[in-house]
Amino acid sequence: MAPGIRTFPFDHGGAANGTVLPTGSVALADLTAQPRFGLKGPGSSAWLEAHGVALPPVNRVAVHQGMRVLRLGGEDMLLTAENAAPALADLQGAWTAETSAKGYSSWREEGWAWMRLSGPALQPALARLCALDLRPTRFATDEIAQTRFAGVEAVLLRTGHAFDVFFDVTASAFVARAVAAVEKHCANS
Amino acid sequence: MNRLPAPFGSRIDRSRPVRFTFEGKSFEGFEGDCIASALAASGQWVLSRSFKYHRRRGVMSMTGADANALVQLPADPNAPAELTRLREGMRVTAQNVNGSLEHDRDAIIDRFGRFLPVGFYYRTFMGPGSNGWYRLWEPMIRRKAGLGIVDTAAEHRDFDKAHLHCDVLVVGAGPAGLAAAIDAAEGGADVVLCDENPEIGGSLTWGRHDPNILAGLAGRLAALSNVKVLTDTVCNGWYEDNWLPLIQGNRLYRTRAREVVIATGTIRQPAIFRNNDLPGIMLGSAAQRLIRHYGVRPGATAVVQAASDEGYAVALDLLDAGVRLALVADPRPTAEAGPFERELHERGVQVERGAGVAEAEGTGGNRHLARVRVGRSWIDCDLLAVSAGEVPAWQLPCQAGGKVGYDTASAAMTLTMPDAPVRLAGGVAGLDAPQYAQPIVANKKGRDFVDFDEDLQVKDLQNAVKEGYREIELVKRFTTVGMGPSQGRHSALATARIVAEATSRTVAAVGVTTARPPVGPEILGVLAGHHEPPERRTALHARHLALGAVMKPVGAWWRPYSYGAGDTAVREEILAVREGVGLLDVSTLGKLEVRGPDAGQFLDRLYTMAHASQPVGRVRYCLMLNEMGSVVDDGVAYRLADDRFYVTATTGAVARVYADMLFWNAQWRLKVDVLNLTGAFSGLNVTGPNARTVLQHLASDIDFGRDAFPYLHGREGVVAGIPVRVMRIGFTGELSFELHCPSSFAPALWDAVLVAGGRHGLRPYGLEASRILRLEKGHILIGQDTDAITTPDELGFGWAVSKKKPFFVGKRSIEMRARLGQTRKLVGLRFPADASEIPGESCLVLKDGAPAGQITSVGFSPTLGCSIALAYVHIDDAAEGSMVTVKCRSGQRLRVPVAGHAFVDPSNARQEL
Repeated sequence: MAPGIRTFPFDHGGAANGTVLPTGSVALADLTAQPRFGLKGPGSSAWLEAHGVALPPVNRVAVHQGMRVLRLGGEDMLLTAENAAPALADLQGAWTAETSAKGYSSWREEGWAWMRLSGPALQPALARLCALDLRPTRFATDEIAQTRFAGVEAVLLRTGHAFDVFFDVTASAFVARAVAAVEKHCANS
Repeated sequence: MNRLPAPFGSRIDRSRPVRFTFEGKSFEGFEGDCIASALAASGQWVLSRSFKYHRRRGVMSMTGADANALVQLPADPNAPAELTRLREGMRVTAQNVNGSLEHDRDAIIDRFGRFLPVGFYYRTFMGPGSNGWYRLWEPMIRRKAGLGIVDTAAEHRDFDKAHLHCDVLVVGAGPAGLAAAIDAAEGGADVVLCDENPEIGGSLTWGRHDPNILAGLAGRLAALSNVKVLTDTVCNGWYEDNWLPLIQGNRLYRTRAREVVIATGTIRQPAIFRNNDLPGIMLGSAAQRLIRHYGVRPGATAVVQAASDEGYAVALDLLDAGVRLALVADPRPTAEAGPFERELHERGVQVERGAGVAEAEGTGGNRHLARVRVGRSWIDCDLLAVSAGEVPAWQLPCQAGGKVGYDTASAAMTLTMPDAPVRLAGGVAGLDAPQYAQPIVANKKGRDFVDFDEDLQVKDLQNAVKEGYREIELVKRFTTVGMGPSQGRHSALATARIVAEATSRTVAAVGVTTARPPVGPEILGVLAGHHEPPERRTALHARHLALGAVMKPVGAWWRPYSYGAGDTAVREEILAVREGVGLLDVSTLGKLEVRGPDAGQFLDRLYTMAHASQPVGRVRYCLMLNEMGSVVDDGVAYRLADDRFYVTATTGAVARVYADMLFWNAQWRLKVDVLNLTGAFSGLNVTGPNARTVLQHLASDIDFGRDAFPYLHGREGVVAGIPVRVMRIGFTGELSFELHCPSSFAPALWDAVLVAGGRHGLRPYGLEASRILRLEKGHILIGQDTDAITTPDELGFGWAVSKKKPFFVGKRSIEMRARLGQTRKLVGLRFPADASEIPGESCLVLKDGAPAGQITSVGFSPTLGCSIALAYVHIDDAAEGSMVTVKCRSGQRLRVPVAGHAFVDPSNARQEL
């Protein structure tokens, strides 16, 4: 199937088309179209490990062939490949071809928006968007929180000076507006 | 002007004048002034009228803790003039006046107080007649009650909410709070220190203290990077697990602290004597705040009531501010002279021991204090500064589990805290000096106020006890003591003493009323915060907008109501589906994937029909019950493989269904994984007699032929280059195919179907057409046509309940409920085309004049040319052709025949084309 026929929320004709992503003291970048692949359910971890992926503990991140491996549960993994699309495609191809137990697709590339929150006012913004203590001293790089963000269920991952946020793709416009509103507060305070 | 020179006035910037009006008259203050201080500096001491008697009131505490200094701002009622910072051009008016502050027509009530004894309203508002309250009293009380006016046209303000985390939260930045915060921070803790004042220091900023103490503490604090200081911030409550709201202006910090130190200090208490409410009578601490914070001289000639050593410090401060001291009256019979008293003696001030102020008199109209009586002597003065003792600020500690006690020997209120991560520091933890318990004797002429907010006098509380209200909580409810803005800060101890005396009990036995959050008044906008309504959009949102859809919210979702406005559009959409083909975005449907070796068994336990035996490629109706046997959801299950089911749930219930699935999966420990695909997959319903033809025009590896793809079957494949899951199901009663695909492909699939359908008159249709189409077919909507007790039998869904399965959730309950007998059933009702009135949803269906059920769905059917409904009727009336009585909104009763389960195509021939 042709990837060109896919439309993501912030694309022209997408559900969030026209919603402006904040770019000021808090910036929100849309990575929803970036490749990723999720496995969930019995057999997922065994299959990944059998293919050489060293899995991190739950709510931690590992790196495998340039891919980030986010472990969201004992049998719930998300692989993101911002700069390792070929490696992800290889792994995904092997999984599709597999005929024995291999877990199940979690459709994260369709169900979740993927956004990156950054900017000089990142911490004040996070304090307004999430109830957790996400200060660097309390929430380190490569830690994962499964929580609520802007009132929406979300997976948060600290990636150094930014946060990757995965959440229900249907709430893309709402989250962007909520972050934009917070950005204004941060800019004014 | 009553302004004092620097260094008095630590908060004001004399180089920046601020102009404002009060009651239409122009005034000028300085930046840093509060409204009350700026007015006082200009000689305007009257700020308000009292709640009940409309007596003139002015500055009492300078802490904003009472109703005396509440004023009206254009957009804010009840603004505390003692705390509200002056702004250029501010328009301030008095509130709770009938006329103006100066000429308040309701002031006449003050002369008729004896006709308005405490609790009079409990007896007065009973008549005349059975509804006298509604006709007469309630409108009158509405006009008189409440302080201030809410401006419903006020501009929206921007409110902000943020979360705050710390190891230690210190509430109160007075000397004790500062010390606690510094100690904790120097120990390595992450500390938040908050204070309601614009600066740190608390009493060190206004009391007679060595300035080096504050300078030393402030210096140590400044050197610590792990202390976040929040001034102008009120800690307005304590909740479980050390969750505390900190309010700073329009911002709410939702704070979670590992430990809390409450250092909120003490509340200075007023003295009780006749006319103790006159403007010019204030707490000694209020006079000190006026002097030191705002550089305002609180009077020209003062009497100081010094029932504590602090009173002598007040007297010295007044002297320093150029106030003439007429007398310092210390009601304590004996007390060792402290350093302040000795200094006062040295400065030649007369001190009278064992004498307290017994009475006060005002100038004409009680505009201001004129003189006070001490013993038998009347002394002219325009200021009475009262230092009558203090109590710990018990509100916040009590919310955290603290208990108020009373030590008779020291006449002091005490606080004890539970074993919890909440500690007390400073004055709130215990008073240094014994307190003087002023004997409280009711003045025969009254006006000896205990509660200034509610205009309650000593005799009012004594009379409440005589009425039989001995317990403090009952006294509060009968008299309203402590119900005003001060929440008992200035009245609780005095009330306890009065009730103790009247009931021959100890003050400790009487106690104080329960302290609950919030500690002080809060603006509702602060609680609401910035309001960004939650919103979900399907992947086809932009497509709908481009087609001119009227979008409406359905829960958090935006859905097309119709394409084009008006009933005509809806009618055309319905006819398009019945006669040609329509296209509906059903992406909001809940979509769940249940997979694993035990997936069939899992669904068997969860739903009423049999799924373990369901063949691959087949679609089966799903009916979900709760453990009470009530219907909670429905949908379909499409078996994709032996170990995979694609299950739909209703839009509104999918979150609950998903949560229930996770719950039961955890209980049953089957080999199953559940995934919520609601956002990941989109759904398009192609429905109508031409639906198959449209799909057959699309490139696909799926055979959409009648025999190859029968009703209630499903197929996976590719349509127009897009991966799809197709189910032959329908909600309209017409030939229908539901195409589900990964959401990023949905716009392309929508476009492809529209193009293919163009030559067959395909028309997108919206939610309202869908609602009518399903009603015509007699399909139910869960939540609309079901309620909390609906059973499958009441819906006529016995066919959907397996009789063979040993277990499913709710099975035992529906069997037990069946044995109790069925009393109602959901049926169709068809109204005559010429009916003068059509009942609305929830209108009653009667049986022998008594309610037996209600209309659940109603609408006009363009297909049938009349209105139709689904309704619960008495079980005896459920047979087709029975006549039932429906009561319309106007009261009109209609006799209507019961129709069969489907108004359109009861034989199902159309959907199985």
